Amino acid sequence: MAAPEQLPPRVGSALDELRATIDRAAELAREIEARPPEAGDLSARLADVESDREELSTKLAEYEQQVGRLMNLYVATYQLHATLDPSEVQATIAEIAINLLGAERFVLLFWKNDARDSSGECEIAFAQGMEDDQTGLYPNGIYGGGDPAVDATLSDGVLRIGPIDGSKALACVPLTVQGATVGALVILKLFDHKAMLRAEDRDLLDLIAAHAASALFAARVYSNTDRKLKTLESLVALVRRQ
Amino acid sequence: MKTKKVLVVDDSKLLHRMFEMMLRGFPLVHAFDGREALDRLAEHKDVELILLDINMPRMNGLEFLTAVKAHPEFARIPVVIITTEGTEDDTERGMQAGAAAYVKKPFRNEELLGVINRLTASPAA
Repeated sequence: MAAPEQLPPRVGSALDELRATIDRAAELAREIEARPPEAGDLSARLADVESDREELSTKLAEYEQQVGRLMNLYVATYQLHATLDPSEVQATIAEIAINLLGAERFVLLFWKNDARDSSGECEIAFAQGMEDDQTGLYPNGIYGGGDPAVDATLSDGVLRIGPIDGSKALACVPLTVQGATVGALVILKLFDHKAMLRAEDRDLLDLIAAHAASALFAARVYSNTDRKLKTLESLVALVRRQ
Repeated sequence: MKTKKVLVVDDSKLLHRMFEMMLRGFPLVHAFDGREALDRLAEHKDVELILLDINMPRMNGLEFLTAVKAHPEFARIPVVIITTEGTEDDTERGMQAGAAAYVKKPFRNEELLGVINRLTASPAA
């Protein structure tokens, strides 16, 4: 076999190209060998991105829950103030308790007129699921005291969430108007499929404490005023006819 | 994408308001008991999903569901029962009556939205 230098120029050139190609291939092979750390870096970055994605996904779920809570609060507030009919306001309080809090048994108490200074009795403005009540504390539409948590809330206007020693109540929500406690929402039992009041329920209980009584108070004032106005209008009409 | 019309049947004004907030992308039709819901269905034949309470005056949710599933035109509409009746028996009764899903009150909004998106996305809906 002839030595390369004796080969025709075209073949020599081809061999040179081949050598250059082999050298380039060797260089690439070295580059590829040198790549594992870079690939490892890419893997690390991929892991970081994946971790970020999971974190964002978790945050998105949290934000969705937060939006859900805010929506509940908005709708509850809106609905409480959407009417000037006292019975509708009471119905809304009940709907919040049932549909948003999961209360199966509860009572809405209001101090009787001047009862704080005399009989100490509250009237039961609304009751749900009390047909088989075993406590005996809420007979004939009256609460005369006896549950320490309810009595304390009616007295000091502080929201209490059970379990509370000696009390049958799961939650005692004060109903306040201009700082004065005028009654309480007492939750005695939740639906079986709702194990307990959750952290987000606290916001709703606070909302009821702040808005329910004022909405009901405003509706009652309007209702009384409207009734008196209609009576006066009737009288005026009668006098004019005569 | 075509927006699907949803019939909300519940005697609670609070819930109707909540669904208006939650389902802003869906045209809603409102009814406050089963009998009114049947009237609304007759008026809105393009309803493609029904959200149904159980405890309602005049005609309750199960009676309404039975009537819908017996109706040749409306039987195809998926119905989601949303109720405080949460026992296994209640759930089984609702599913046997033809409900596509059963959600217990109080519900988490994202839970209900997941069910609604699943049912409105499927070709059957």
